[in-house]
Amino acid sequence: MADLTTKLGPVTLKNPVMTASGTFGYGFEYKDYYDLRKLGAVVVKGIAPFPSHGNPTPRVAEVTSGMLNAIGLQGPGVDKFLTGDEYMPFLRASGADVIVNIWGKTIEDYCEVAARLDADCAGITALEINISCPNIKEGGVAFGTDLNLAAKVLSSVRKATSLPLITKLSPNVTNIADFARCAVDCGSDMISLINTITGMAIDIKTRRPKIANLTGGLSGPAIKPIAIRMVYQVAQAVKVPIIGMGGIMNADDAIEFMLAGASAVAVGTAIFADPYAPLKVIDGINDYLEQHNCKSVAEIIGALRLS
Amino acid sequence: MKTGEIISNKLIQGSYFQVDFYAPEICRAARPGHFVHVQIANLTHRILRRPFSICDCSSDGALRVLYKCVGEGTTALSKLQPGTVCDLMGPLGNPFLAPAADEYPILVNGGYGAAATFMLTKESSNGGLMLLGARSASDLLLVNEYEAAGFEVRVATNDGTAGHQGLVTDLLQQVIQQETTRKWRFYACGPEPMLMAVASILQKNHLSGEISLDHLMCCGVGACFACVVKVKADTPEGWRYARSCKEGPVFNSEQLYLEK
Repeated sequence: MADLTTKLGPVTLKNPVMTASGTFGYGFEYKDYYDLRKLGAVVVKGIAPFPSHGNPTPRVAEVTSGMLNAIGLQGPGVDKFLTGDEYMPFLRASGADVIVNIWGKTIEDYCEVAARLDADCAGITALEINISCPNIKEGGVAFGTDLNLAAKVLSSVRKATSLPLITKLSPNVTNIADFARCAVDCGSDMISLINTITGMAIDIKTRRPKIANLTGGLSGPAIKPIAIRMVYQVAQAVKVPIIGMGGIMNADDAIEFMLAGASAVAVGTAIFADPYAPLKVIDGINDYLEQHNCKSVAEIIGALRLS
Repeated sequence: MKTGEIISNKLIQGSYFQVDFYAPEICRAARPGHFVHVQIANLTHRILRRPFSICDCSSDGALRVLYKCVGEGTTALSKLQPGTVCDLMGPLGNPFLAPAADEYPILVNGGYGAAATFMLTKESSNGGLMLLGARSASDLLLVNEYEAAGFEVRVATNDGTAGHQGLVTDLLQQVIQQETTRKWRFYACGPEPMLMAVASILQKNHLSGEISLDHLMCCGVGACFACVVKVKADTPEGWRYARSCKEGPVFNSEQLYLEK
């Protein structure tokens, strides 16, 4: 067994495989499938200071090698998240490492949810700041595609909590490295990328958009080469640890991300096909390390050969 | 993960197929209204599972699904040969409540919705009535099977090729208007507009029933919030989005929030 322990700045995880926010609910939904402690971390669906209905339906459409979604961050709000049986109390009791994804419509919303979680942080390993959701009208990607707004929200959240911070970047920008540098300058301990890529699909029989929101975020294997390229660009631009994601279906995909510079990875859409996908990725990374005589995960991070 | 080896997979009529999986564990746990989430073995470049109502479960572990060949997923499924193994999640969802000993079940189904309620025939000690609507006579499914199970079947077709020409909800209105001393329990499954019409008729008549929604799903376990439906709730808007895979697919008709 290789050493799968993964150091992410101030955080150390037992292995480098997490669940991508929005694809694993609040962990509770998969409790009957396996022990959540087997995961590097459970990253929960986005939490705002307020409860939210999310978008009208239909919210998803399957496309070649992927899917479009515009769920629109339906969620219970931070109060219910911290007290409801299906949320944080369950996760605390489970013993899993928990990363809470946070979002808001305003800078104040982001700070409020960060401060609330900071004040009740038992069992919370880190916060992931979502400035990259493409499917909500206010907040989300509006902050993630404007460097000035990104700097404001990220530095404000930094002041609101002492928890380790991950900034989740949007791929819907011209130069993602600029946003990574901005996040680091504003005190983020880690960068996660990529969120979904804005896309669209049309039903040719009805001539109507396949999702009610008109556009949605593309995920799945279709986006993996873009994600790999962006992880590589960000790894060249910043020194903080990177959590890579975007279309990881198996361990080979995850290893590609790590060679490009990711210290950890998140499995997302693959979970819908196979709830056990994250565990298979963990086992597959171990097998790769053993086959390549690597003693630890650290040996393959950024180990891309260019000559 | 549970697996299901295909025992048989055959065309039954028109574009409707019936597949039997060998899945004894799921069969033991399945209740009427449950669904299975199927990874279709030969479906390349498509990653999501397909949810199907469980039509029947036999004591020897055969799990029956009835499906209409409509898209890439069901077309791929229709080509799978016996011996092929598919990955199955299930049984999933919130099932129907079985009729009580003194209750007479009335099923209101549209098209292959007849499959989702079929296992209720084994739960009723008083027989029952199925109202079945379809586009045409060739879209009427399981009529003989329901009759063999002791259920009366009344049909409606849009084109008048069998039974009443019109909608299954016409038949429902007639049944409600008939004087009867029987204690009813309503169940429904079919296309969403039909189900919303059934819920509306029941609500207007101060009746309730159990409605199984056929909704687009991704994860099947309540994690992704793709398959939501509006239910009445104590919110400023009077509704919230409930996950049909986890809180449904069976909802009480009184729970459903009907758009004006």
